[in-house]
Amino acid sequence: MPEPADAQPVAAKAEPTTEKQDSTTSETVREQVNTEMVHLIVFRLGTEEYAIRIDQVKEVTVTPGITRMPRTPDFVKGVANIRGDIIAIIDLEKRFNIRPNPEKAELTTSYTLVVEADDYSIGVDVKEVPQSLNLALTKIDKAPSFLQDVSVSENFIEGIAKTDNRLIIVLDMHKILTQDEVSQLPNL
Amino acid sequence: MKSREQEYKEIFIAEALEYFDALNRHISTLEREPESEETLAEIFRLLHNLKANSKAIGYLQISDVSHKLETAFSLIRNKELSFSDEVVKVLFDGIDLLGELIHNVDNPGYGEPDPLLLRNLDIIVENLSDSTIELAKVQKYNTSKNLALSELIYIQIKKLDHMMNLVGELMIDRDRVLSISRELNNDELKNVSSHLYRITEELQYSVMDARLVNIGSLFNKFPRIVRDVASAEGKQVNLELQGHDIQIDRNILQIMADSLLHLVRNAITHGLEKPEERETKGKSRVGVLRLTAQSDRENVLLRLQDDGRGIDLKLVKRAAVEKQLISADAARGMADNEVLSLLFEPGFSTAREVTEFSGRGVGLDVVKNAIDSIGGRINVSSEKGKGTTFSLQLPSSIAVKGALLFEVDSIYFAIPLIHTDQVVSLDKDELHEVGGVLIANLQGETVTVVYLNELLNAPEGEMDLGDKSRLKGQVQNIIIVSYNNRKLGLIVDKLYRQQDIVVKPLSKPLDQIDIYGGVTLLGTGKVCLVLDVPAITRYFVHRKQV
Repeated sequence: MPEPADAQPVAAKAEPTTEKQDSTTSETVREQVNTEMVHLIVFRLGTEEYAIRIDQVKEVTVTPGITRMPRTPDFVKGVANIRGDIIAIIDLEKRFNIRPNPEKAELTTSYTLVVEADDYSIGVDVKEVPQSLNLALTKIDKAPSFLQDVSVSENFIEGIAKTDNRLIIVLDMHKILTQDEVSQLPNL
Repeated sequence: MKSREQEYKEIFIAEALEYFDALNRHISTLEREPESEETLAEIFRLLHNLKANSKAIGYLQISDVSHKLETAFSLIRNKELSFSDEVVKVLFDGIDLLGELIHNVDNPGYGEPDPLLLRNLDIIVENLSDSTIELAKVQKYNTSKNLALSELIYIQIKKLDHMMNLVGELMIDRDRVLSISRELNNDELKNVSSHLYRITEELQYSVMDARLVNIGSLFNKFPRIVRDVASAEGKQVNLELQGHDIQIDRNILQIMADSLLHLVRNAITHGLEKPEERETKGKSRVGVLRLTAQSDRENVLLRLQDDGRGIDLKLVKRAAVEKQLISADAARGMADNEVLSLLFEPGFSTAREVTEFSGRGVGLDVVKNAIDSIGGRINVSSEKGKGTTFSLQLPSSIAVKGALLFEVDSIYFAIPLIHTDQVVSLDKDELHEVGGVLIANLQGETVTVVYLNELLNAPEGEMDLGDKSRLKGQVQNIIIVSYNNRKLGLIVDKLYRQQDIVVKPLSKPLDQIDIYGGVTLLGTGKVCLVLDVPAITRYFVHRKQV
């Protein structure tokens, strides 16, 4: 009795051979797209999690001594010597008006993500050790509807990643570096 | 280092050998394609240049042979001489002879060129129609010549820029290594690092030296320009040039070229009077324009002097008031050098009605910007009726600068020495609060003094530059800087030493902030901010007006 029952679906499957074949290949293709991974460096600004794609990050280092530069906007923490290059260190919390997490205020060491733009580098100072995270590309919602309601910085958000109950804001640093910072600086 | 003359000679030889190689190439082409007008023209050009160059430097044999060959080729070009086998042979021999002469320019044992060969050349040049005259057989001397490449190479300035940058980086690291080795107090390390120091220093000077060019390379363009401008303006000008041999970084000279052109044009158009006008003033009809270069330790001083009508300070003041650059009250009390500094104000340059009368002010702000960009200084002095002098003080190298190191609010700063006049220590009581600023009396001169900490660090709304109580301590260290004919004293917290620094430009986005000319790394690894004196002065003036 179980035999024909088993055989039934096999036969049924075997019937429309050509069509089935097609749909399996397209399934495989979709599978591949689905599993295309993206590697992110995740860090905290305020109480939220933010991330930058790893290909935009040159290195992560313990923040070296920063020399303050008077008469620069307050999101510029100053300049630091990172392997012989003197680069600007910026504070994205100040830049985006994000309230710093008061629990982390007493932390003394901080970390610097060295972000590479076309022809220069900039350091992003963060409080906690940045984490690396591998994520399927599909987990990033490229155009979340709320973006229309966000007035500032909408261009810099590449998408929202949702994974394991975490919500991570993925930033496009190139956009931040190219259009924004420069126009933010006053000409004295 | 080699003498200038030796250097010219080497350049001549290298060029001549290049011409020689090119001649060989072209004449071979010509043998295959005797009809090629283009090749013929090129040979002509090469021979002509060679003739002129060798004559100028005094190698008469070379110029003589070149001349003969040139004549022969001109006959060929005019179809008065056929490019036959016999002729070709003589021409080849002639060109070989040129090569031999060039190679033996400095060889006293060389003697005279082969007389037979010279005679052959004369024959083909002079007996054009009669080709029956016997050409003597010339014994072909060593056919197995050594293949030698030129002693000189051309190099793109970009490559030298890159080398200079690398040397700069190396110097920064060297200073760091030196300072660490002192801390560690290890003898061997100290020996090595002091050796490293000497080598990098030599490397630095070698690269800087490779970038130097003679000012003459720019000066030589002016006689023609002056002639053209003068004849267009109906003026008579005698241009005196001095200091061709002074050497300066090629890029600095390039940046200054346009500015100098501008100043020279201005001087002829607006400074010098027409011959008749000069006569009525009791001057010679011919105006004198003197352009001189002088080397002054690490800097080069360019001076452009005319004996024209000079700058009318009253008109400058009136124009500045009309243009609302200054108030009428301020104009009344202005010192002469301050009035002259108005000429460089950006707003002033558009004051057309002034330029018609007083003659100056067209685009001088552009000139000043160019000089600021290379960290130089410009000064103008003028006497009505007697003439005007512009003095340009230029660094001889861009990357390495002497600077004064100091500290303000625990931050290290440097100011290039070219902008510093002197350093003084004054008691707090010697500073006076006048009209919202501090004033000091320095050897009879009243100088405005500003507390750098206040200027840089006070919140903009609370800044008070005229409040002595904000100063720390009793004795104040003051660096007197000078910019645009104007002095300004900067009070610093701690004064360190004078040091050669390698200024690195700030990378984006900070390069937009103009009060910093760049940064440098100290031997300790600390970042030191290099203040831009022109921008700091502007910032201060701007604050004062707010």
